[in-house]
Amino acid sequence: MKKILTSLALVAAILLLLCACNGKSNFDKTKNISVTTREDGSGTKTAFMEIIGLKGKEDPANVIMQTGTAGILTEVKGNPAAIAYESLGYVTSDVKMLKVDGVEATVANIKSGSYKISRPLSVVYKESSLADDVNKAFFTFLQSSDAQKIITDKGYVSVVDNASAYTANGALSGSIDVSGSTSLQPLMIDLAAAFEKLQDNIKVNVSGGGSGTGYKNADEGVSEFGMISEEFAIEKAASCTHSIVCKDGIAVIVHKDNPLATITMEQLKNIYDFEAGSNAITKWDALIK
Amino acid sequence: MMIKAYRYIKARDAVMRGIFLFCAVFAVLALGCICVFLFAEGLPFIGKVGVSNFFGTKWHLDSGAYGILSMIVASLYVTGLSTLIGIAIGLFTAICLYKFCPAKAVNPIRQLITLLAGIPSVIYGLFGMIVIVPFLRDNISSNGVGYGILAASLVLSVMILPTIVSISLDALNSVPRSYYEGALALGATSEQSVFKVMLPAAKSGILAAVVLSIGRAIGETMAVIMVIGGSPAMPGSLFQSVRTMTANIAMGATELSGDAATALVSTGVVLFCFTLLLNTSISLLKGGFKRESKSA
Repeated sequence: MKKILTSLALVAAILLLLCACNGKSNFDKTKNISVTTREDGSGTKTAFMEIIGLKGKEDPANVIMQTGTAGILTEVKGNPAAIAYESLGYVTSDVKMLKVDGVEATVANIKSGSYKISRPLSVVYKESSLADDVNKAFFTFLQSSDAQKIITDKGYVSVVDNASAYTANGALSGSIDVSGSTSLQPLMIDLAAAFEKLQDNIKVNVSGGGSGTGYKNADEGVSEFGMISEEFAIEKAASCTHSIVCKDGIAVIVHKDNPLATITMEQLKNIYDFEAGSNAITKWDALIK
Repeated sequence: MMIKAYRYIKARDAVMRGIFLFCAVFAVLALGCICVFLFAEGLPFIGKVGVSNFFGTKWHLDSGAYGILSMIVASLYVTGLSTLIGIAIGLFTAICLYKFCPAKAVNPIRQLITLLAGIPSVIYGLFGMIVIVPFLRDNISSNGVGYGILAASLVLSVMILPTIVSISLDALNSVPRSYYEGALALGATSEQSVFKVMLPAAKSGILAAVVLSIGRAIGETMAVIMVIGGSPAMPGSLFQSVRTMTANIAMGATELSGDAATALVSTGVVLFCFTLLLNTSISLLKGGFKRESKSA
């Protein structure tokens, strides 16, 4: 019995040692790329797939799916062969961000539009609805420094420079309806809550439905503001104009030991496309020469 | 005066009876509500998308493919493998504790194993994700993937150990000692008597342990999600990102809406049917066990 116990303890010790050693191993570029993605329905995933040109496509067969930001970061931090994407605001220094087409994922580059994997989150509205003081107040609030602070705190990229603070007008009362993109919805709910705090008598109702709903509701006057998470397309809401609330940047991240510095949109597409066929990139040595 | 007191007591009894009755039916009501919700939501959806779509191999929400066959298969693989590992280790642990372990060590070991049952499943998942998955990825797996059926089975097998060990040990302990002594008297060694006499005599209890742990394994969600990978692909290897039914429900529940969300409820219906089947077999086994012990 004692012998068995001692040998068991030995085996356990060896296993632990192996684990410890492997933590420090150097990058092995002959390994398969461990393609990591978010779960279906995630806003970040939908945006990422759309921007790299894979809107509505299936995931590659061996994709590792992580639920939530933390799962993605843990995986990339621990797995030298992993590649993943994450909203810029959530990326920590435990992982390495790749340049995309040679452009670094920074707030400045997203603002200027030179970093490709980003998208504007906008509101669409009828010019005439701003004649209403209540609507105008909310619109002004969205451009104010109060709103920019919330936008930055939530990990989005503010596009308004030198914003001034919002001054509440106690005389206003009424309600505003905002609907559309579920990507902008969580941020809009926070913005609306802050606005309601400043303007006691104005109620802002925020609902989802998708960008299509956003266009439609704004165009038909169902909502004062529609939310969209794509470049504004005038043909989808002819009577409307738009204003960018903020931008959302998605960083491509790899393990810290990974020597790769930059990746192209084409390469990303061939990594994440289940139909890439002979173009598919599955091993790191296809990217690292 | 007496009548007043009597009335008071009677009224109090009636109230208390009502409260107790409510408590008694509360669990049944809850079960009923869950069943109604599951079947009323889930079954029509299966009809709507078609049985062949729902039990197909392709799960891709954007193109309206809601096939969960790959997830059913993954669930069965994970459950089967984890139960195998769990039984192999757990049964021998129980036998060791029953006869071959120093008497002083039995209780501490038993206590520690029971303690395993108290660890929240998310901690098992975390352990699996941070220790087991990287270990498999770097040392065992041939394709550099640590996630998958083996990782999930290893984590689950540890989770079900307490169930197997404690129920098997109870089953062994409930076999009359005279069996063991009788075997010894007939010239069997201690090992022979335990393996050939005591173990078969305790088989109903051990079988119950197995079925219970299968139930635990098939229903476990959190720990599995964290180590299974999550891709809705048909399992072809132990080291491949796959998705179990529980993982499918939990991964999508907070993100999906509309038809996709209903598809999750339908997945729940299938899962519920599996667990129902298991529970029925437990009661059948228990019935068999009782009859057997009566006739013995």
